[in-house]
Amino acid sequence: MGAVFTEFPWGVILILLPVTGGILCFLWPQIAKITGLFIVFVVALLVVGLAWQIFNNGVYRHAVGGWGAPLGVDLYADGLSLLMLAITALVGMGVSVYSAAYFKHEQAAQFWPLWLLLLAALNALFLSADIFNVYVTFELMGLAAVALVALAGSREALGAAMRYLLAALLGSLAYLLGVALLYHGFGTVDIALLVERAEPSPVIWAALGLMGAGLLLKTALFPLHFWLPPAHASAPTPVSALLSALVVKASFYILLRLWLEIFDPLVGGAGVEQLLGLLGAAAILWGSVQALRQTRLKLLIAYSTVAQVGYLFLAFPLVAAAGVSAWSAVTYLVLSHALAKAAMFMAAGNLLCFGGHDRITDLDRVVQRLPLTAAAFALAGVSIMGLPPSGGFIGKWLLLEAALMQGRWDLVAVMILGGLLAAGYIFKVLGYAFTQADISHESKAVPASMEWTALLLACGAILLGFLAVPVLSLVGIGDPFGIGEVRP
Amino acid sequence: MTLLTWIFDSLLGLSLLWLAWRALACPNLFKAIVLFVAFGLLMALAWVRLAAPDVALAEAAIGAGLTGALLMAALAKLHPTEAHNDFAVPPEKNVTKVWSWQWLPAITILLVTTGLGYVVLSLPPYATGLSTEVAANLEISGASNPVTAVLLNFRGYDTLLEIVVLLLALLGVWSLNSADLDHKAAPGIVLDTLARLLTPIFILVAAYLLWVGAHAPGGAFQAGAVLGAAGVLLLLAGWRPRTGLMALPLRLVLVIGPAIFVIVAMLTLLIAGQMLEYPPTQAGALILILETAATVSIGVTLAALFLGGDPRKNNRNKNHT
Repeated sequence: MGAVFTEFPWGVILILLPVTGGILCFLWPQIAKITGLFIVFVVALLVVGLAWQIFNNGVYRHAVGGWGAPLGVDLYADGLSLLMLAITALVGMGVSVYSAAYFKHEQAAQFWPLWLLLLAALNALFLSADIFNVYVTFELMGLAAVALVALAGSREALGAAMRYLLAALLGSLAYLLGVALLYHGFGTVDIALLVERAEPSPVIWAALGLMGAGLLLKTALFPLHFWLPPAHASAPTPVSALLSALVVKASFYILLRLWLEIFDPLVGGAGVEQLLGLLGAAAILWGSVQALRQTRLKLLIAYSTVAQVGYLFLAFPLVAAAGVSAWSAVTYLVLSHALAKAAMFMAAGNLLCFGGHDRITDLDRVVQRLPLTAAAFALAGVSIMGLPPSGGFIGKWLLLEAALMQGRWDLVAVMILGGLLAAGYIFKVLGYAFTQADISHESKAVPASMEWTALLLACGAILLGFLAVPVLSLVGIGDPFGIGEVRP
Repeated sequence: MTLLTWIFDSLLGLSLLWLAWRALACPNLFKAIVLFVAFGLLMALAWVRLAAPDVALAEAAIGAGLTGALLMAALAKLHPTEAHNDFAVPPEKNVTKVWSWQWLPAITILLVTTGLGYVVLSLPPYATGLSTEVAANLEISGASNPVTAVLLNFRGYDTLLEIVVLLLALLGVWSLNSADLDHKAAPGIVLDTLARLLTPIFILVAAYLLWVGAHAPGGAFQAGAVLGAAGVLLLLAGWRPRTGLMALPLRLVLVIGPAIFVIVAMLTLLIAGQMLEYPPTQAGALILILETAATVSIGVTLAALFLGGDPRKNNRNKNHT
């Protein structure tokens, strides 16, 4: 029995199953909802299986076609990939349950195939060990995400989707050009082989510039964030949650991988880290101030994503001395932001469904009228602000500690200011949630499953604050951060 | 290199640049699309000169042919007042200003081009890449054309995902629009005869390209593009499939490529232990099955993209009204 579990190709099924599900939902839209929910829950079980396997056997590697690198494509999963797959499955389950109540009729028939193919793309991306294969998964992910944004059908949504499409394609093309240069220079597209063969040269710098620019555009780091707020704010609510929680993290994950494995050993210390840190700091301040200025709830949350993405990049200049704790901080921030931001968008979607609008000043006592949703928003807000005891707190605390250790007072100041601004925009929303609006609007009932999923995901973001030890030991499997820690 | 080829290549390169610029700067969108198609055809020629006939075929069929048809279809849907090129006609107020933000992208592109030029010159002119590994394993791959061997065997997983990308593109278009199935413009006698004559020939060419792909330039994408072109021609001639065929049967044909690919991936995983690991003796047959299914799906998907909307929605609207 144990051998079956440890030898089963969990990773491959994680990719093939959602593709199959997407095809089935496309063929038979009348059973799309039930098929979609079933597939997403099975995918979550598969991730548990993969975790069990990685825990027992160490890193997972699958040579597709039996060729092995450099001729074939390899799939690879270590602790970091596993955590990304796990958070995708977790948020994916929440979004699926939410969507089952949110989408009706024709929209549901279009949503499920797109979402399952997006899930397949995310899983394939987190399992990829091949930079060209990553490009293909970017294409899958980008097209699915753009089509999902356009599903809202409004004029703003279509405009935002078009802008998102152009930004995503530009990012992909820049990335692909970098892949071509690396292949020409070193004769392989496998990450592990590139690590062995690559040496400092103009090609490395050009590839870093192109791939970095493409990935930063996809990750929406300031000042390349212009496409994010309209796309994330005008998409249907479950899609907003998916985009902010997972899709933006996917390109960040690839950036992190490439930086850690290929570029850092070759060009580390030449100022790239400082530039990324500077942009991250600017993103925190700009995104937070813009969030504070918004009058619409979903736009506020979207700008908050711009700010929270900034925190992820503060780790780059801090790694040199603080090593492990800076990367642990990044892992924690990615996980907790995924849960908290998904919950926050869902709460906003509930308010939108309830009142028919998302004007912050007209929230009109939702604390009494939709207590579960208000609680979900508040709990997610705790994690976004970085207050204890939440996942966001652990991440920001580790980051602050690393900055203090190196005497980077500028970054410390930015982090504290960012936290204060986040508190500003969250309490602004909560304040209006308690007060009575001038004009009362008619309200519609919100399905209970939509309220509960928001609350459960927000609770997940808080609970993450108590799981620091197991999570951080899990992410160390396979030594993704190159710190030479012994595998458990 | 002889003087003649040198002159030819220089002319080709200059024409490409000129066509690209004209396509961007032309205020009339119809002309811009025609220039774009011409650009695609010359680009195909450039690929031939670079000894990449597979890419040339794909560029001619998809880059010039079907993309041009799709652009024309999009143009036909635009309102006449919207159908102009904003890029080519700058707003009046910006004309007097010497410095405008429009220069920023231009300067960025100039810098990137210079940097890339430097990097490309610093690279060795010839890189063998993986061609020795490909050649060494060609015999057991099931295809003697190295491009087909890479696409369907060595990196078959990438192709599996790429075919799903095509399906996704159609899903995206379908989520935006409904198909105009009622439109039956009386086709001119010329178009009608042409469509009747050419469709069987297109199908024959597609079958040939599919078959020849195993050992010479060709394959599923090129064959699918030719099949798609036949579909576009039929749609232009006013032909519409019966409503009954536009429901589940159409969707089944659209997914047969990705579905067969996924099934083969699952079976090989079960039998051989690795996804898409073909037994060398059956590799050729498996590749042919995968390519045939992919050709059908690609062809129908491209024609459906040209139709430009979800046929299901049309039925529903008709029932309501």
